[in-house]
Amino acid sequence: MTIERRGGNSVGAIIKACRLMTRMNQATPGARQSDVLYYKMLEGYYRRLLQAHDDGKLIAAHTDFFPVELVYAMDIVPMHTEVTTWMMTLFTGENEDILSASAELGLASEICTPHRGLAGAFVTGAIPRPDIMLWSNLVCDNTAKSGELIMDVTGSDGFFLDHPFKQSDEEVKYLVEGLGDMVSFLEQRSGNRMDWDRMSEIVERMDRQIELIREINELRKAVPTPFSPLGFMQLLTVDYLCPGQPEAIEYLEALRDELVAAVKDGRGTVSRERFRLMSFFLPPMHMLGFLDRIAEEFGAVSVNEPFFTFWGEGRLDPSKPLESVAQKSYMIPEMRMFGPLDERAIDSIVDCAGQYRIDGAIFWANVGCRHTCATIKLFKDVLEDIDVPMLTVDCDVVDPTVASEEEVRDKLEQFFELLEDR
Amino acid sequence: MHLLGIDVGSLTTKAVVLGDGGVLSYSITESGDESEQSATAAMGQALRSAGLGIGDDTYAVTTGAGGKAVSFSRQHKSVNTCLARGIFHLFPEVRTVIDMGAESSGVLKLNARGRLTDWESQDKCASGTGIFLQQMSKLMRMSLEEMSELSFEAKARAEVSNTCAVFAESEVISHVHRKPPTPTADLVAGIYASMVSRVMVMCKLIGIEREVAVVGGVALNKGLINIVEQELGFKVMVPEVPQIVAALGAGIIARENVEKESEG
Repeated sequence: MTIERRGGNSVGAIIKACRLMTRMNQATPGARQSDVLYYKMLEGYYRRLLQAHDDGKLIAAHTDFFPVELVYAMDIVPMHTEVTTWMMTLFTGENEDILSASAELGLASEICTPHRGLAGAFVTGAIPRPDIMLWSNLVCDNTAKSGELIMDVTGSDGFFLDHPFKQSDEEVKYLVEGLGDMVSFLEQRSGNRMDWDRMSEIVERMDRQIELIREINELRKAVPTPFSPLGFMQLLTVDYLCPGQPEAIEYLEALRDELVAAVKDGRGTVSRERFRLMSFFLPPMHMLGFLDRIAEEFGAVSVNEPFFTFWGEGRLDPSKPLESVAQKSYMIPEMRMFGPLDERAIDSIVDCAGQYRIDGAIFWANVGCRHTCATIKLFKDVLEDIDVPMLTVDCDVVDPTVASEEEVRDKLEQFFELLEDR
Repeated sequence: MHLLGIDVGSLTTKAVVLGDGGVLSYSITESGDESEQSATAAMGQALRSAGLGIGDDTYAVTTGAGGKAVSFSRQHKSVNTCLARGIFHLFPEVRTVIDMGAESSGVLKLNARGRLTDWESQDKCASGTGIFLQQMSKLMRMSLEEMSELSFEAKARAEVSNTCAVFAESEVISHVHRKPPTPTADLVAGIYASMVSRVMVMCKLIGIEREVAVVGGVALNKGLINIVEQELGFKVMVPEVPQIVAALGAGIIARENVEKESEG
């Protein structure tokens, strides 16, 4: 397949946007230090990606929830495929161009947009070509197929990690063996040896990272809630891009401290908190600013996301790095929805609704995500049983043509009226 | 003070004037390009019908697609909130409302206090809406009333796609031209069934709780209501003027607001 390079490098644009956000936050009185650290973290991530080849490092593109800790430990530069598509949507506005390029590749409009968008981004040369593609069947069928496509489009090598659906001892052992195979593949491909001491440090920090998110979740129970209306997007991104990295810990510790202070002072994140919301899945990236304004206007804040910010039980053991990485893959909040959706996961929705004093839930139904959309009715019924209404908003995380701001606003207004009327 | 509810819809604008005893008058006028003008015209007509002066003090709550653009509106409320209020005023026993309007359709659930608790709607496709019905009426070269009457003579329902208005039109044409042609009554019943099946999907999603009311302009069509009842397996309630329920609800909210304000 010929790669037609038409565009400029979008990573540079993402870096500039992050730097601008950092400066804006630094210049804004009362802005959170954690926001400054967050955008610095993003800037650093994409700067390393931009400079990787100049620095003589390999770039490993990888799909969602791939155990990127191993990549970091081997001094290979990771590139999260889905998040990079989000960032392009959020910061460069090139989403329509890359989706159009993916259509030229023959990718159907029903395919998950972050995946086909990324393929389009590679075709247009908007992002650097990876040397290695790493992907797995964690968590969905789009992810499972995406690696082959990107290898085809970019001509890179690749490794597929077969992630077992369930978590029996035998399956975990199989996964650990697969991780070992991946390390061998990366060693062979990069010429770098796995630094196990560094890997243990990363696992130790990852354990700390999960603990910090748990602390933050506890603080979000406060009324009014201290965390930003869509702040959970930052919590996701930190884990997706920088698991077990010092900058992730620095950001989370700063955030935790800010939230502790806000809770102590009884300060909420919006002027007048009226609706405490539970969120399922992802709102459109191109609407984040709009949704922030809606949150302030209506006093509506997402205080809980059972399958995005709630980690499963357990701790990671730095002395057993591969086993810990395997265990983490089953503790990931999203895995509890995308994986075997058992009674515990369903019960956690009910528990969270009570503990977080939820008034209503919003399901961001991304039309290209068959896995999540399949849970809409199930979650709605569970919440209905405890008298919590759920709004389903048809949308797409990357594609702006699926739902307009006007449509989304109408639905949200209607939903807030419903909540107010109860 | 005159209390008004105004529903600025895509095809028609409805205004309801409320008095102490209930509805004093209503109007249904064609919507123009400007929502403000449409609302003003509908309000004027409804006030005149009630024998009230246009210049008098009014308190209007608006709803509908163009309701936000009305400058004299004291408050804008969503159609579903207004439908819930309106239907509860007319039929307090109703718990499910099927709304079949000109350009959209939806299903609402109400609680025992007449408050909206859930809804499903579709506005991305003409299938199941009044515009679809008008299109079919033109295609069949029959008035809506003639279609309705004829549907009661159907022996069967012709198969008509329920997924796309454009494809449904092609299907209807092929029914007309096949040899022997599909009986017209069966074809009309099939058209209605295709519209109803669209709505039934939403009913299943939201869950049907009796009693059920059907509102919106399409509810004027007795033949279609007959199919709805066949699908549900029981009788539904249809207001005398099903197009004005949202405007009525908006009027009721206007009255509530004024009462709250007077209570301080």
